[in-house]
Amino acid sequence: MSNRRPYVRSMDGWWKRDPYFIRYMAREVTAVFVAAYAVLLLVGLVRLGQGEAAFNGWLQYLKTPWMLVFHLIVLAVFCYHTWSWFNIMPKTMPIMFVGGKRVQPGAITGTGLAASVIACLAVLFIVRGMS
Amino acid sequence: MEVFKADVAIVGAGGGGLRAAIAVAEADPKLKIALISKVLPMRSHTVAAEGGAAAVTRPDDSLDHHFNDTVGGGDWLCEQDVVEYFVAHAHEEVVQMEHWGCPWSRTEDGHANVRPFGGMKIERTWFAADKTGFHMLHTLFQTSIKYPSIKRFDEHFCVDLVVEDGRVQGAVVIEIATGAFRLIQAKAVIIATGGAGRVFRENTNGGIVTGDGMALAYRHGVPLRDMEFMQYHPTCMPRTGLLFTEACRGEGGFLINKDGYRYLQDYGLGPAEDKPRNKFMELGPRDRVSQAYWHEQKKGRTIEGPFGSVVHLDMRHLGEAKLRERLPQIYELAEEFMGIDPAHAPIPVLPAVHYTMGGILAYGNTASSLPGLYSVGECSSVGIHGANRLGSNSLTELVVFGKVAGVEAAKYAKSVSITNPGAIEKQAESVQARALGIVNQSGGAERIAVLRTEMAKSMESGCGIYRLATDMQATCDKIGELRQRYKKLKVEDQSKVYNTDWLLAIELGYLLDVAETIVHSALKRKESRGSHQRLDGYEQRDDANFLKHTLAYYNGDSPPRIEYGDVKITKSKPGTRAYGAAGVKADEERKKQGAANG
Amino acid sequence: MADTEKIIEIQVLRYRPEQDKEPVLQSYKVPFTDDMSVLQGLQYIKDYLDETVSFRWSCRMAICGSCGMMIDGKPKLSCKTFLREYYPQGLRVEALAHMPIERDLIVSVEDFVTKLESIKPYIIPKEPRTLEQGEYLQTPQQRDMYEQFSSCINCMLCYAACPQYGLNPKFTGPGVLALLHRYNADSRDGGQAERLGLGYADEGFWGCTAVGYCSEVCPKGVDPANAINQNKMNSAINYFTRFVTPGGADK
Repeated sequence: MSNRRPYVRSMDGWWKRDPYFIRYMAREVTAVFVAAYAVLLLVGLVRLGQGEAAFNGWLQYLKTPWMLVFHLIVLAVFCYHTWSWFNIMPKTMPIMFVGGKRVQPGAITGTGLAASVIACLAVLFIVRGMS
Repeated sequence: MEVFKADVAIVGAGGGGLRAAIAVAEADPKLKIALISKVLPMRSHTVAAEGGAAAVTRPDDSLDHHFNDTVGGGDWLCEQDVVEYFVAHAHEEVVQMEHWGCPWSRTEDGHANVRPFGGMKIERTWFAADKTGFHMLHTLFQTSIKYPSIKRFDEHFCVDLVVEDGRVQGAVVIEIATGAFRLIQAKAVIIATGGAGRVFRENTNGGIVTGDGMALAYRHGVPLRDMEFMQYHPTCMPRTGLLFTEACRGEGGFLINKDGYRYLQDYGLGPAEDKPRNKFMELGPRDRVSQAYWHEQKKGRTIEGPFGSVVHLDMRHLGEAKLRERLPQIYELAEEFMGIDPAHAPIPVLPAVHYTMGGILAYGNTASSLPGLYSVGECSSVGIHGANRLGSNSLTELVVFGKVAGVEAAKYAKSVSITNPGAIEKQAESVQARALGIVNQSGGAERIAVLRTEMAKSMESGCGIYRLATDMQATCDKIGELRQRYKKLKVEDQSKVYNTDWLLAIELGYLLDVAETIVHSALKRKESRGSHQRLDGYEQRDDANFLKHTLAYYNGDSPPRIEYGDVKITKSKPGTRAYGAAGVKADEERKKQGAANG
Repeated sequence: MADTEKIIEIQVLRYRPEQDKEPVLQSYKVPFTDDMSVLQGLQYIKDYLDETVSFRWSCRMAICGSCGMMIDGKPKLSCKTFLREYYPQGLRVEALAHMPIERDLIVSVEDFVTKLESIKPYIIPKEPRTLEQGEYLQTPQQRDMYEQFSSCINCMLCYAACPQYGLNPKFTGPGVLALLHRYNADSRDGGQAERLGLGYADEGFWGCTAVGYCSEVCPKGVDPANAINQNKMNSAINYFTRFVTPGGADK
């Protein structure tokens, strides 16, 4: 009978203990917004299938004040989502060499963010061009 | 008391202990091995070794060169037949390490790389960045997991050996987590507990390097050999004593004094050249380089820092890229602990105690005068380092003699049996009583930290780089006094679970016993040789009277009994230790003489 | 001494199982100089103020991995963290998070050691080679593929950082999975199949949700988050192809 009595500390509220964890939880929560917006787009697709009137109704709905507020929030959340996604992306890549030198995590993140910005601008340009 | 029945018990799970355990397991998988360590194996101080492991590799190198470098480096106090065995088996052991996964640094074509090191004529030091000891230790520990016959007793503190019927038959350990005692019964015991640098104030050693195994063997009548030879490593961090590897100099670093002058050329190590040259200047042997610092200090040419006089280790000319690639750990040490960027500023360094050349007297097969007891590594004196160790020989020593110890202990264990387990258990009970006595004794008021600090300060003043009879005598008296005061120690912590206070008290006992062997051996050696240098009339080497090993025998409460033993000379007759240009000349003359003798 | 002595308050989370019902903070006033580490502060406490404080330490140079603890709530090596950074407000020192406290600043390491032993952390040679044949050839670039993962000092700061380990102690954890990857990525090793069963399991790579804090706190730049997450792609591919490849064998 030993005198050992290991003490296990509680994990309650663990995510509040460090700013790093709070940022992590925020990152995870952005996935909910991504899912929500996917549903919205899905609804738009369904409305498109239901004919021009239905689709126009959906477009009108998107222009209501609450939806504009929603879109602003989603834009901010998606920016954080994109930034944190590419921030963690180097961790998912194996060690790579280009021209004998090791590819740095910053290069991967930077490339990803740059690609996102270019993609967004491209979409904006196309949509502008169409309307 | 719980009893564990092993065939071979190994005390200490650093590089030497782990290699021995693997050797026993490979010699005979049916043998039960108890691998005992007071810390988790990867905490053993092997982990801090940086520079590399020497082994003859290049085609222009030879066993004779390594042999001569080692014997000359040891100032001819080496057991030459053992050195011959050592240099001949070095390469196969570092290759074995590689096969086990050790990430040796490589040349472009994929072979193991070698780097220059102090006192070595030709590059032969295998290295893993500047963390060789770390990589070797982790490789050995992880490889040892392969062998089911190795049972580890992690965080078990060894308090004594059990000697019955004239041979060692086990060890008594404390399970640190619970304070419970355990008897490890064994037919052979290998001690691999490391050195005793913590008897000094400024040292590169970790807290656990307290001479445990040395003291245990010593108290059972095994002599400690050549204890006066303590190596001062020339480039250590002021105050903490943390190590800046010799590889800094191997890669081309300079040592400069307050005038920016590479002062080593004034001490027989020159002339100075731009590129590092083996056995020249900063690549001289450690004792010479440390002694040069001492002289510079006396001349007032060192730089006064907040923690004593320093010299500068200047690596700026190597450039950041090379420093980060070859010496990443050094870079980190300088930046994080001292706020210095070695690519842009020199690092203040001074000598600190680093390695214990002496130890448990071990024959070439690692056995001792006590049947069943073997020893390997820094705790043992198997005879390869003599009066001064060459850098990168000790990591190789661990694997070469770790294997020998394992094989020999396995052989011995199979040849004997435990005939009187009752007597062994009875002894274990009295060991337990004595160990508990330290924490339970009342009426004392001495404090561990006070005694330890007094010991360390006294050892520093009496057994420094240069020694005087008066100082050594004062230290002898002081250590004797401390050993008496130790009996009146008050241990505050009376608990059982992780009572580190109690263990520190037991360690202090080990430290004091070992310290006494060091200073008495030093006082009696009336000559200067290798890292034992005197300034009191005995400045020269005296082969006529002192080409001998010092043997310190336990004498209870009295100071150790000092005797002397012969040195085994085979191929290399004692000559002048010469480095730098003088060394080249001496080599040529030796070659000419060799040719003349035909 | 260059600086005059200052006093800093160190709060230590004490726990003596034989007398304390639960851990409790105890405060000590420690004189210090700018070069002193938190470890040296603790040693001062033990030497001169309170001998009963227990903590692990050895090398003092961030290579043995003994001295990990929570310093102001962040996992750090106490030998490499300096008191001057917490002056004058003082600091709080606790045992590493997510592991049971045995005594004061000492946590139970049994779980970590058991897991380390379970992943076959040794070379299973791809091809045999005798000692006489010398070393296996390995180019510097091949060595680069695993060297950083071999630099783990087993300090367990990453376990104290990982909330998944804290929530689910069955998770193998960052350090051990990094070691698993170290061996799989070593060009000399042929034991990938044997190790990946553990890696691809729920408590293996998939127990990780890429929080990434482990790599933040790692004092040696091992980047366990990378070691784990670069394997998820392979694991996913393996999950789908294992029924297709002959014998359903892992590659």
